[in-house]
Amino acid sequence: MNNRVWGTVLLTFFVLLVAAALILIVGASPLDAVRIFINGVLGTSNGVAEIMVKATPLIFTGLGVSLSLRTGFFNIGAEGQFYLGAMGAAMVAIYLTALPGPLRILLSMLAALLVGGIWALIPAVMKNRLGISEAVSTIMLNYIAIMIVGIAVRGFLQQPDSALPQSAQVEEAARFPQLWHPTRLHAGFLVALLCVVLVWFILERTSVGFEMRMTGHNQRAAYCLGLPITRSVALCALIGGGLAGLAGCAEILGIQFRLLEGMSSGVGYTAVLIALLAKNRPFNVLVVSLLYAAFQVGANSMQRQLGVPSAIVTIITGLIVLILLGSSVGTKMKESKGLKVKT
Amino acid sequence: MAYLEMRGITKGFQGVLANDKIDFCLEEGEIHALLGENGAGKTTLMNILYGLYQPDGGDIFLRGEKVNIQNPKDAINLGIGMVHQHFMLVSKMTMLQNIVLGLRPYGSPFFNKAKLRQDLEALCERYGLGVELDVPVNRLSVGIQQRGEIIKALYREAKLLVLDEPTAVLTPQEILEFFDIMRALKAKGCSIILISHKLQEILDVADRATVLRDGKAITTVKTKETNEVALSNAMIGRMLQEGSAHRETFAHDQPALSVSGLGLQEKEDLPVFKDISFDLYQGEVLGIAGVDGNGQLELAEALTGIRKHSQGDIVFRGQSISQLSIRKRFELGMAYVPSDRHRDGLIMDADVKSNIALRGYYKAPMSKRGILAANYIEETSERLVQDYHVKTAGIGQQSRLLSGGNQQKVILGREINSDPSVIIAAQPTRGLDIGATEQMRNLLMNFRNQGKSVLLISTDLDELLQMSDRILVMYKGCVAGVLKNDETLDLDTLGLLMGGYTCEVVADEQ
Repeated sequence: MNNRVWGTVLLTFFVLLVAAALILIVGASPLDAVRIFINGVLGTSNGVAEIMVKATPLIFTGLGVSLSLRTGFFNIGAEGQFYLGAMGAAMVAIYLTALPGPLRILLSMLAALLVGGIWALIPAVMKNRLGISEAVSTIMLNYIAIMIVGIAVRGFLQQPDSALPQSAQVEEAARFPQLWHPTRLHAGFLVALLCVVLVWFILERTSVGFEMRMTGHNQRAAYCLGLPITRSVALCALIGGGLAGLAGCAEILGIQFRLLEGMSSGVGYTAVLIALLAKNRPFNVLVVSLLYAAFQVGANSMQRQLGVPSAIVTIITGLIVLILLGSSVGTKMKESKGLKVKT
Repeated sequence: MAYLEMRGITKGFQGVLANDKIDFCLEEGEIHALLGENGAGKTTLMNILYGLYQPDGGDIFLRGEKVNIQNPKDAINLGIGMVHQHFMLVSKMTMLQNIVLGLRPYGSPFFNKAKLRQDLEALCERYGLGVELDVPVNRLSVGIQQRGEIIKALYREAKLLVLDEPTAVLTPQEILEFFDIMRALKAKGCSIILISHKLQEILDVADRATVLRDGKAITTVKTKETNEVALSNAMIGRMLQEGSAHRETFAHDQPALSVSGLGLQEKEDLPVFKDISFDLYQGEVLGIAGVDGNGQLELAEALTGIRKHSQGDIVFRGQSISQLSIRKRFELGMAYVPSDRHRDGLIMDADVKSNIALRGYYKAPMSKRGILAANYIEETSERLVQDYHVKTAGIGQQSRLLSGGNQQKVILGREINSDPSVIIAAQPTRGLDIGATEQMRNLLMNFRNQGKSVLLISTDLDELLQMSDRILVMYKGCVAGVLKNDETLDLDTLGLLMGGYTCEVVADEQ
């Protein structure tokens, strides 16, 4: 136990040292950097709001990926599910102008949920029926999804009077309400919070969630005991993909108001990281997403005010993640070694 | 001076002493049998010798020198070789590749195959071990694979061989050949520790035998000066409790489960089992005997629906269940205690109450409208833990942390709680201590005494003789014969059936 505490202190020190060294290299004062970093995150209402804004898609995709991981479905396809979800949401929000705003928002979300879910179901079925590794197929489907969006914004979804590869704007009425003027915080964050609670409830309190958890622990035993493991994995993929799709919807209706290429800025991949760090628990996903977003916001203000590249924070984040994952894998290896001896 | 001496070896697992101050001594050029029931501590002792476990106490001396064996590599460097019951061979690689796997043979990192082959052939010749070196292991018979394992150990210059139940997987003919090999090894100066619980084979081939019981070394005797009865008494330590359990009498005219012409063919080669027919009556324990790996476990999985059989039919409670899912069969009243409880019976990472909920979580009263009834599940779990005397820190404890006996109690408790009419129990007491074993058997017997049925698959003959009303013997996937377990039962017949003879042949010979 003591060893662990010392290890953590030592590692924290090491990480700070690396950070200071990197900041010195670019010719800024580390102390200034820290001050501005903290000020950027907590010093202004905009900083605080921005954390929630940036955390919103991470929460959705993080939840989605962690749900898939719970049943042993290694879904790296949140990126593709995000894009297609965004596209589905955009189509509903932009074109169903006959419907009143709130209903259109609701249908938008539903479309994102459905499209993202089906996109995730494809690799699940491919795995179940054909034995194709989902780690490969989900990545491939990401490329396809991104290309589909690329085609859409240059073709059938392109803004009629524009040469830019982008869709028309979503009308004011069909956007997520702003929560905190003048910041960008929108109702999508609340939907994300609701999803955290919902996913937790499904996993921990319902029989369907029980199936998912048990299937994830030991698929063979679950099968032998008559649990519907195929349905369980499929359902997890469907809901998980749907949540990633909702992330896309939140970005469309809350931030961008139109479909764009490159709008995800990699949240689908960051989600895998978040799920791993959160050990697939919904409330942990919320916390980790907020922390991750805070890092980003702080890094941005450092870059703006001191000219310290935000890449430094990305490097530090990567380092921390590696250390955390390394230590958890380390304990796992020790455990499994102990087990091997037991047989 | 003894070649190997183990003094006061002690090793405990979660408070149960698997080895309790065991003294063991092996002379040079001796075949020394280590004898004991399942769970007596034989394998633990040998795993300590091979560096797989560290002892809690005691010392090991090799040629009079104290040695510290931290891992199998140390053991190999000291000239100790082990042939496990389950071979450690990579099935798609050739025997030659398997033998040098993990070594740096001549000219490393390149591979001088010609020289290597010469060496290995010389080695084979020296010990009279014929092995095809260039055939993938999975195309070799079990007996040949075993020889390969021995050559593997010899090539690593083992002077002391530990053979863990080597004959369990062999046919009678292969066993005779294997004895010759052991004698040849002995003649060339190898010392051999033979782990076994087959009395006859120990008397045939070993020089001395050490009997273990409940983790203690009971006695060491010269095989020339002892006999089967003496060894058996030392091993069991008590007279067999024959028919000690109360046994209701039933007419046995109502079949609870009827199996006709059941067959399972999974790949193109041999069927796993074929043409299995029997009736399991109400109020009956039908024992299924046979050496491990003769299709019994697959039969259990076919009955429960885990495997889909390819021929024949299963009739349960008046309807064919061949097409029914695992869950449907369970709902009709078929319960299952799998032989591999860690893999098939429990979710080790989940807590006790989740494991208890696994059979009924999806319907009332354990869940209502899709929402788990946490209170009901907890009450049921508490009740079962109490009724079945499961030793646990609480129903929230991870199942992995329970001892084998307690894990098995959780499984049986869960299965019986669903009020089945037939229990299919595969190796229900394997690896359990004596107390838990007795409890398992009593629970199953009580179940039978309520007019219900148990299909008991076991490789432990004592268990089958104690529990069964009838015993069905399986050999190579077929029914070799069905015997009534009463005073007319002839143990020799049972043994012959398990060894591949059929009832007719046995009758002719007698």
